[in-house]
Amino acid sequence: MLRWALLLLLLLLAACSKGAEADLPSIGEARSLAAEWALVNEQASQGHLTRHYVDTMRQSCREQIETAAKSLTQPQSPYGAEIAALLREPDDASPTVLRAHAIRLKQIEDSLESA
Amino acid sequence: MNPLELTLGIMTAVGGFVDISELVFAAQAGSNFGYALIWVFAFATVGIMVFGEMCGRVAAVAHQPVFNLMRHRLGLKLGFVTLIASVISTLITTSAEIGGLGLVLHYLTGAPYLLMAAASVVVLGASMWVLPFKWIERTYGLLGLMMLVFAAALVAIHPPWGEVARGFVPQVPQGLSTKELLKFGYFAVAITSAVLFPYEAYFYSSGGIEEAWGPKDLTTNRVTTTVGFALGSLLAIAILSMSAHLFRPLMVGPQLPGTSALEAAIPFGRTGLLLALLGMLIAIAGAAVETCMANAYSVSQFFGWEWGRHKKPWEAPRFTLAWSAFLLVPLAIVMTGVDVMTLVEYAILFSILVLPLSYLPLMLLANDKSYMRQYANKWLAKGLGWTYFVIVTAAAMAAIPLYVMTAGGQS
Repeated sequence: MLRWALLLLLLLLAACSKGAEADLPSIGEARSLAAEWALVNEQASQGHLTRHYVDTMRQSCREQIETAAKSLTQPQSPYGAEIAALLREPDDASPTVLRAHAIRLKQIEDSLESA
Repeated sequence: MNPLELTLGIMTAVGGFVDISELVFAAQAGSNFGYALIWVFAFATVGIMVFGEMCGRVAAVAHQPVFNLMRHRLGLKLGFVTLIASVISTLITTSAEIGGLGLVLHYLTGAPYLLMAAASVVVLGASMWVLPFKWIERTYGLLGLMMLVFAAALVAIHPPWGEVARGFVPQVPQGLSTKELLKFGYFAVAITSAVLFPYEAYFYSSGGIEEAWGPKDLTTNRVTTTVGFALGSLLAIAILSMSAHLFRPLMVGPQLPGTSALEAAIPFGRTGLLLALLGMLIAIAGAAVETCMANAYSVSQFFGWEWGRHKKPWEAPRFTLAWSAFLLVPLAIVMTGVDVMTLVEYAILFSILVLPLSYLPLMLLANDKSYMRQYANKWLAKGLGWTYFVIVTAAAMAAIPLYVMTAGGQS
């Protein structure tokens, strides 16, 4: 019984943890969305995609990145700034630029995970 | 055994295998862990073959659908608890499918997502009202074969076949941190849940009774569940493998259901994209119909109402009302604006919790010679059945802690 209570307590603590570590899921989400956006723009530039698909994917990426940005507990952090910079990119931003954002977010993610 | 019926049955099983949860989790599994989770798909597929075959056999021999058995075998109280839990889990699954339909139509037409979700419910409801059971199953199953574009795309991108093949060997990747191990565990549980969804058992066994199966149909049942589900599972494995090959190096961990369609667009351009989106649309629509009807079957069978799509809608009014409600309530959930990916995660989580209670009464009856006579489970079905029962029970116990500790596979 005591073991289950301890496990429950640990789970609650894990769920309530604050700070950079608590922001990791949002950073990972924003990193992936930046990479998805880059892939969409790359394929669109090669004429592989339809207009509706490109428009809706770009819109969804932007909305989800905004949601991830809003959920950060430390929006004034380096990763907060990086996500804000990503959101300032135009819809048809170059895949290279978008991938550079994804790479920077991945580096931040890795450094926070190893800290 | 009619070869045409058999072929159609297999093709229907293939086309109807993949739903929104498998689309999402297969793509995310590949991008997170490369080919290392292929074996979980393969392993869970053997489980759904075992339970699917049992469901079909019980329907053919004892003419008992799963929820009849549940009430008799678990008793009224526990049976009722199982009914409520399974209705909730399947309702969330239907919501995820309807949200998925809205999204795919949004990608195809650019029209507002919620409007598309509502339109798809109208079309699903009309098809369920007009079509008899066999044609509901076949229409969605056969059109869902457009999903084969993913298998063709996998061949076209020339993946490292050796690594794909090694993915079928049970493994945990070397050198993972504790966090990554937990995440790997979460994905393994989620994939098991997505492949073994309880609604599949409810729908399949009720379908056997709708089609008046008898012992003569047992071979068709066995071939359909083994060959059809195996081929269907290969589609999910193709999606995972392409994600490992195309998305992982680019750091894409698909957060949007529409990203999977890129896997077909990369080798085949617009044609590939359209086929992938249409295949996804039909496959998800088929799953929406199955989940909605599975709930209506469950409730009707538990309370002893008239049920079945072999009857005219007005000949089984409470069943008709039930499936209409189980289509409209999920639409109302989607209309609240809840995120589809969140619905998918909850669907997976709730379903794994219900799995042990769904498959236990089925196995008890399939083992019972007084009901099943010479068709009762033999040593192989018994052994596999109990093995998978232990595994899904362990997965059910691990599901919530893993979900909390990994933030739903995000960290």
